[in-house]
Amino acid sequence: MQELGKAELNATRIIRQDDNRVVIEKDLDTEYMVLSMGPQHPSTHGVLRLECITDGEVVVEAEPYLGYLHRCFEKYCEKLDYPSIVPYTDRMDYLAGMNTELAYCLGVEKLLDIEIPRRVEFIRVIVSELNRIASHLVAIGTYGIDLGAFTPFLFCFRDREHILNLLEWISGARMLYNYIWIGGLAYDVPPDFRKRVAEFVAYFRPKAVELQELLTENEIFVKRTKGVGIMPADVAINYAWSGPMLRGSGVKWDLRRNDPYSIYPELDFDVPVPDGKFSDIGDSLSRHLVRALEMTESLKIIEQCLDRMPEVDGFNSRALIPKKIRPKAGEVYARAENPRGEVGFYIVSDGKSTKPLRCKARSSCFVNLSAMKDLSKGQLIPDLVAIIGSIDIVLGEVDR
Amino acid sequence: MSQSPSLNTWSEALSGFYIGWLPLGLLIVAAVPLIFIALYALTYGVYGERKISAFMQDRLGPMEVGKWGILQTLADILKLLQKEDIVPTAADKFLFVIGPVIMFVGSFMAFVVLPYGPAFIGADLNVGLFYAIGIVSFEVVGILASGWGSNNKWALYGAIRSVAQIVSYEIPASIALLCGAMMAGTLSMQQFCVLQSGPYGFIHYYLFSNPIAWLPFLIYFIASLAENNRAPFDIPEAESELVAGFFTEYSGMKFAMFFLAEYGSMFMVSAIISIVFLGGWASPLPNIGGFALNEWTSGPVWGAFWIIMKAFFFIFVQMWLRWTLPRLRVDQLMFLCWKVLTPFAFIAFVLTAVWEIYK
Amino acid sequence: MSEYFSNIKTGATTIATGLSITLRHFFNAVKRKGDAGIDDADYFNQVDGLCTLQYPREAVPTPKIGRYRLYNDIDDCIGCCQCERACPVECITIETIKTTADDLAVCGKTSGGQQKRMWVPVFDIDVAKCMTCGICVSVCPTDCLVHSPVADFSEFDVRNMVYHYGNLSKIEVEAKKKKLEEEKAAKEKAAAEAIARGEVPAGRPAPKPKPAPGPAPVGGEAGE
Repeated sequence: MQELGKAELNATRIIRQDDNRVVIEKDLDTEYMVLSMGPQHPSTHGVLRLECITDGEVVVEAEPYLGYLHRCFEKYCEKLDYPSIVPYTDRMDYLAGMNTELAYCLGVEKLLDIEIPRRVEFIRVIVSELNRIASHLVAIGTYGIDLGAFTPFLFCFRDREHILNLLEWISGARMLYNYIWIGGLAYDVPPDFRKRVAEFVAYFRPKAVELQELLTENEIFVKRTKGVGIMPADVAINYAWSGPMLRGSGVKWDLRRNDPYSIYPELDFDVPVPDGKFSDIGDSLSRHLVRALEMTESLKIIEQCLDRMPEVDGFNSRALIPKKIRPKAGEVYARAENPRGEVGFYIVSDGKSTKPLRCKARSSCFVNLSAMKDLSKGQLIPDLVAIIGSIDIVLGEVDR
Repeated sequence: MSQSPSLNTWSEALSGFYIGWLPLGLLIVAAVPLIFIALYALTYGVYGERKISAFMQDRLGPMEVGKWGILQTLADILKLLQKEDIVPTAADKFLFVIGPVIMFVGSFMAFVVLPYGPAFIGADLNVGLFYAIGIVSFEVVGILASGWGSNNKWALYGAIRSVAQIVSYEIPASIALLCGAMMAGTLSMQQFCVLQSGPYGFIHYYLFSNPIAWLPFLIYFIASLAENNRAPFDIPEAESELVAGFFTEYSGMKFAMFFLAEYGSMFMVSAIISIVFLGGWASPLPNIGGFALNEWTSGPVWGAFWIIMKAFFFIFVQMWLRWTLPRLRVDQLMFLCWKVLTPFAFIAFVLTAVWEIYK
Repeated sequence: MSEYFSNIKTGATTIATGLSITLRHFFNAVKRKGDAGIDDADYFNQVDGLCTLQYPREAVPTPKIGRYRLYNDIDDCIGCCQCERACPVECITIETIKTTADDLAVCGKTSGGQQKRMWVPVFDIDVAKCMTCGICVSVCPTDCLVHSPVADFSEFDVRNMVYHYGNLSKIEVEAKKKKLEEEKAAKEKAAAEAIARGEVPAGRPAPKPKPAPGPAPVGGEAGE
């Protein structure tokens, strides 16, 4: 396609076969239009730019362009102390700060080989599951907006507000928490925390049902998403998809189960995968459904944690935090299940410095987004919007 | 032209009212609907939509300008008036400027045939309904002109979608209205109301007196949503897909004209549906024994009240739908039009004809 | 054909369900959410209804540990500069002057009873740069640097976002610097005299006399 001149492009029709062979039909009186979608577009969820080659409303090819929100996370890590990197991990996936922090701290703790108090583990799981619900609420709400339903979005944000209040109450910040520290937590939870979270769970259950009735079950919503952007399981695995995206394709893969960390092995929860009755396996609706079901699973996890969380008198969440973090020379890859998939940190220590030699972040959104070119081929523009929404990208994490 | 001269005496007397050489009466006749439209668009149209959507979404809506934010729309209009009137260099200037004007004019010209009461109608055309359908679809030209003239890819998409949509939905909408015309045996808007008024109030409405009328009623209502580009058929301006559709490039007062035109046609189709199927200005209250509720609530002022209330109810339903439903895709929209609404409209047409012959 | 009609039916019923939900919310609009903070035991009893709070008049209370505007209680600050070093975004700028021996009493003690050994003429926090991570607060040995729960501190000029906490006037700074230099010079003189008298113990190199007195130590550290 690149070799063709502009005039020639106008007089030809380029068909890319399944095996990536390009067939050119000449002298057809159609013209392609290059449509730049984003970086300022309402439904690219940030500053993603898609360069679409369109044939009428049909997208022949869409190429995502990244980097508008690049903040040199990995380079910064090389000049920062281990604990100072934690607030930067918040800013990667700003909708699920707790989960990303947890992944990073797991990595450094593995490198340091230190023991974590049990109460801290429970609190970490509670806050990251709360954050998972908050993140999925944004994903579901904005997906509604992408498809034209405005009201579910505001209902989602109304409920997310309570989670943010809860997290602000324990960590001091609403989005960028810096709460999970290497070897402990910034603060212990307030005395009423357990009761308030239980109240939230009771509050949120009926709201989740209402959301489902209002959005997920709506026939127009189903029509817009069912069968759109189907990703077969094998291709999804080859693309290294993870999280709800992969589960949407019918692969039961959840790091909380398959590579358990923290106290997840003790907890009883399901890994929801679509059964193919309500949705076609691997389509946008499946991915949406997985997120909706995961919220209720998270509620289950939170309830269990609240029941089992040990109460310790005079508990100091910072007691076991090492004063100077200078791990032995070595490398570690730690990963955790983010709301968007596997987030991993590959950390190399030279054994001398209090700064990592290298800290590579594996971003789930970036990997999930890489399939965009495949997914968008031959779709309508409204479907393209539906697909981007179902990938649930956070550009902060894509670009880092 | 005038079908029912006796009913028009009031307005005719008014239009014959001169002070010296000044045709004051004519000015009043022309000004009343305009003032009404402006008030409606300012209060119920924009402000009402914002408040209704807010309440449905557990929000407060505008609260700052005036008590309960009641002057918010005024502030918005002032802001829009002050804004720079940008015409993009690459745009086709003539089409770009004429587009919103055509839409605005098209939308408000239909108000001419709306009867606001037994004695108050702009022009009682004997082809009133036909005129209304025709003039509403006139908007397509404005949309296409502005979408093409903007020289913007998103605007072009919006315009093309809009034209395809409105032209398609004309068919079920017109057939549904034709069912109403068959029931009444007239195309005059005033006659529709006259025929549906009576001592038993709402019983006389076609929707209740005719067992088939609910079908064309429903079809017309759905089709009218599409003709107005209202959700769930707002694909021409689908803000999450096409940024703002055909008015992406517009700002300032031209943008406000699109806005007013949209609310104008919302009122227009709501008024048409209430005239054809729900009796227009006819009071819905029945006479019960000694309580002549129907007679008490009929008259020029009551007539205007009833028709506006009925129209407002349908506008509320339009807003209610908009703030509940997601948006359809283009092909699904066409599916709904050609494979659902049009066949059902034909069925309704035949059934109405049969009913009208054998009732 | 039956699929065609069942589609229409599910469409109609699900749309009706959605409409009933929004209508329920519409009629529920007479109620309003309260503005209790999350630490209020009543919090989840007053979440029904419209959830907007009209911000400047009604606000969600920020919790006590809310990390918003940085505040430094300069009377308790010992000028250790740990916060400056810990800050990942370098939003804190500190300049210190060592206190001379006779000034220690004037310099005073912190509320914790620790003797202050540094004058802190410059303690600037650029709160526009601050990312409220709270690391500086966690390293502060005297707990004088805190994140206050004040969340709204917008300014029209970004330069006003630099908060100055230094508590010495220019004249005082000059005086303190001069005093320190004098003391240093006196010490050096004393040391030199000691060398001259041969009082320095063997095995310890004699302190080199410094060439010219340079500018006052900037960013000096407490441990040294």
